[in-house]
Amino acid sequence: MNANEHRRLLGFDPEDLDGHTIEELSDYLEAGRVPPDPLIDESASCQIALEALERLGPLTQQLFAADTAAEAGADQGWVQRILSSISFDARAGRRIPIAPAEAGADLGITEGAVRGLIRGAERAAPGALLGKCTLHGDITEPAAPVSVSVEMSAPYGAAVVELGELVRAEIGAYLAAHTTLNIVSVDVVVRDIHRAPAQTENGT
Amino acid sequence: MNDDQDRSALEHADDRILAGRAADGDAAAFAVLVRRYAPMMRAYARRILPGTAELDDVVQEACIAAWEQLDTIEHPDRVKSWLMRITSRKAIDRIRSIRPCSDIETLEISVSASSDPPRRAEANAGLAALAEALNQLPESQRQCWVLREIGEYSYDEIAEELGLSTATVRGQLARARKHIIVRMEEWR
Repeated sequence: MNANEHRRLLGFDPEDLDGHTIEELSDYLEAGRVPPDPLIDESASCQIALEALERLGPLTQQLFAADTAAEAGADQGWVQRILSSISFDARAGRRIPIAPAEAGADLGITEGAVRGLIRGAERAAPGALLGKCTLHGDITEPAAPVSVSVEMSAPYGAAVVELGELVRAEIGAYLAAHTTLNIVSVDVVVRDIHRAPAQTENGT
Repeated sequence: MNDDQDRSALEHADDRILAGRAADGDAAAFAVLVRRYAPMMRAYARRILPGTAELDDVVQEACIAAWEQLDTIEHPDRVKSWLMRITSRKAIDRIRSIRPCSDIETLEISVSASSDPPRRAEANAGLAALAEALNQLPESQRQCWVLREIGEYSYDEIAEELGLSTATVRGQLARARKHIIVRMEEWR
């Protein structure tokens, strides 16, 4: 039996589907079978085709999950090659002047370096992780008011407000020590709570 | 916290935190994202590309493009589907560069089974049947189907990516679906 005979046998051509096409049935399914079409709903062969199409969705997700699981993990050498080809200049951001201690000196620090400094403040709050960090204000102008906002993920079970305060204070101290920015506010926004690594590994 | 603990904490961080850090220039956070999603990106590219030889390059290019564009990402918590988009774009670019003169619409080459993932002792026979049905599809039908069903592209987005008309995409998808459900019914 060739493929066409199979198809006739299984009946997914319009003459088998009471005049409907697979395309129409797919559209009907994607629209959530609304508005109801009695001609489709009362056709036994259309129902068979709809069920077959409907089964495909979850099966496709399973296939892709199995595909992904079957792929080897990224090996360290390959990841390193990627890291060595990426440019950090793109992330440098604006240049922040540092008010010189003596006249004539021209000092500056990049916005990217300051964000790195701010991320380092997470060490003050064990288990906390800092995410996106934004410097609001004209940081290229000495003495212009600047506010900092940074996202934080707190470890499950931690005293979130206290951790936030620790991080906030640390960021303030770092910026005062390493920049001459006129920081008017530091906002730590707790975006979510994560399981600490040790807990995850224990399966709790 | 020492460096090992730092690394371990990052490995467990959620996508939003990692994407935010990577956008700010944290290469360690970016490396965690790359390790987390490289197998998924490879699996996706493998379903789109007809051969296996270019896979590593495609995923590598996608990762580098991701780094370059990360600071423009609108929803950092959806970095996973964002990486899928970049991967399919790079895979399609690769197909174009391999066959710069051919009209993608007229290509009707079936894939050989050798481009399948290195597994194929499919635990679930239904999955094996679906994989086989997919492999039998002509290239353009398979690409439309994979972008739609795995990549969750709209018809218009597929048309734009593949340089086809939306009507053609609809037709290709209908043919692909019909082929697949026929094969699946045979299997049942």
